[in-house]
Amino acid sequence: MKNIITKGITKVYNPDTIPVVALDGIDLQINEGEFTAIVGPSGSGKTTLLNIIGGLDKPTHGSVTISGTDITKMHDNKLIEFRKNHIGFVFQAYNLIPVLTAEENIEFVMLLQNRPEAEREQRTTELLNAVGLGDKRKNRPSQLSGGQQQRVAVARALAPKPDFILADEPTANLDSKSTENLLDIMSRLNHEEGVTFVFSTHDQRVIDRAHRVITLVDGKIATDEEQKPVK
Amino acid sequence: MLFKIAWRNIWRSRTRSLVVIGAIIVGVWAEIFLMSFSEGTVKSYINNAIQSEISHIQLHQPDFEKDKEVKYYFNDASAVLQTLQSTPHVKAATVRSLSNAMISSTKGARGVQIKAVDPGPEASVTKLDEKIVDGDYFAEGKHNQIIIGKSLAGKMNIKLRSKIVLTFTNLNGDITAAAFRVVGLYETDNSMVDDAIVYTIRSEFNRLLGAEDIAHEGALFLQDPEYLDTVTSVLKTEFPNLLVQTYKEISPEIELFDSQMQLSTTIFTVILMLALIFGIVNTMLMAVLERIKELGMLMAVGMNKVRVFLMIMLETILLGLVSGPIGLALAYLTVLYFNHNGIDLGYFSEGMRQFGMSRVVFTTVRPSMFAELAFAVVLTALIASIYPSLKAIQLRPVEAIRKI
Repeated sequence: MKNIITKGITKVYNPDTIPVVALDGIDLQINEGEFTAIVGPSGSGKTTLLNIIGGLDKPTHGSVTISGTDITKMHDNKLIEFRKNHIGFVFQAYNLIPVLTAEENIEFVMLLQNRPEAEREQRTTELLNAVGLGDKRKNRPSQLSGGQQQRVAVARALAPKPDFILADEPTANLDSKSTENLLDIMSRLNHEEGVTFVFSTHDQRVIDRAHRVITLVDGKIATDEEQKPVK
Repeated sequence: MLFKIAWRNIWRSRTRSLVVIGAIIVGVWAEIFLMSFSEGTVKSYINNAIQSEISHIQLHQPDFEKDKEVKYYFNDASAVLQTLQSTPHVKAATVRSLSNAMISSTKGARGVQIKAVDPGPEASVTKLDEKIVDGDYFAEGKHNQIIIGKSLAGKMNIKLRSKIVLTFTNLNGDITAAAFRVVGLYETDNSMVDDAIVYTIRSEFNRLLGAEDIAHEGALFLQDPEYLDTVTSVLKTEFPNLLVQTYKEISPEIELFDSQMQLSTTIFTVILMLALIFGIVNTMLMAVLERIKELGMLMAVGMNKVRVFLMIMLETILLGLVSGPIGLALAYLTVLYFNHNGIDLGYFSEGMRQFGMSRVVFTTVRPSMFAELAFAVVLTALIASIYPSLKAIQLRPVEAIRKI
């Protein structure tokens, strides 16, 4: 069963000087196929929670288990390997490799997985078509708009066939049209291919599309509700 | 893909990369040029010393080595000469009678060494006939001919065809004086030699010494210096009663000069490589620090530390691989040009002559130097890449990206 289970996650910054509690005992389960938004005011711990779930940061206390594997006890190199195969990331600032074209950016993560060339090529084409950028495959990030870059980033996150995709404020830098476009694509991937998305967001348009909304306040879960998406 | 990323990353900051590439090109070029200039200088010094003075191998009566007196001669010099000339790998040979003497002129007196030679064989070994700048080489049928250095003639106010008196000790230990007519003035690339050595004819000088067909020195020039040890051992067997010495034994300062030059070139190489290392480290560190976020993202999406390390290392090595061959090619062309045309150091020629060096230096380079330098450049790039690469893998993705 593919899922994310967090138990009593606490994250304290500067524990020896001026302690700042970013997360305070988070218990959470996210299952395969969810389209979940983590919301809350600035400083509520959304990004910290996503960082810890994604294995980019370690909790001060508590554990994160992804599909049965406790990642909080993993060493750096093992964690990198784990992320490569199980978690896809979509960053607010896109963070594509500027010297690679759209298709090379997507292919790159599959190369890290040592996938055969034919499979890489086929999947790259599929994903570029899925995000509506089949005609931009040879463009470098600097030749793409923000919305297009973020769609490439989504395709890149999907390329290694991860269990989950974590997206931190993916629409924060996009205009309305690009946001709608991106949400349509992610929503379709969730519906049709069962891809699991977990967002952190302030954006009401993203919140409206989510099936489940987890609200954080001061590092604690204030509400955790299922909802019927607007579209 | 790693290679592709590394290669493209180099050209992200074109100007910065071109500056480093330019620095490596100039460094490699300067290094090889300096090496070839040093090598050319050493060769010129050694060749001058061998051709004008020492030759490849010399033979003496063993006691002559310790105390250069006229009584330490060997007999049947003509037969010795014939044997030397017929020894395999010997290009030319000569025998000489030697004596220290006092040369007198209206301007005073001065100590010199008389080298009494057989004109033909001497010319074949030292090319003395080609070094005559005024007057003639020894002519047949004339008596008491002497050839002196042009600079000595200037200092002693001796004119061509004038008579001079040489005072020396004969084999009986008596002081003898004889008058000679100056038939020629010679000039070599070593002004100290020009001031100190005068040449006359052996058969006549031997009579003045009081003997027939004796010589104090046999000297020979080889077809190729690589036969030095072979011919030396043959001659040692052939002439067990004579002391056979190579130019290295006779003039150890030649080896010293050579090794000093090599040492200073090595020191220069190390300094240059260190400067290059700092230049490359600086550039690559900038490249890493301005890509912190990107490197963090690469690690976040699954690029392990070994690959990140290799990528930065590859970028650094590629800088060396782009610039190294260009520097080597430029250096090759420069060395080739000056190997044919020489570098005329006319401005320093007097100083150079005092040290026995030609005013024109022909750059020479061992082919292995290019391979050594290519290796040094790659090694430099490798060493220079370690710190920036380590810096890159020390990044924590969460801190590098700040936010996922």
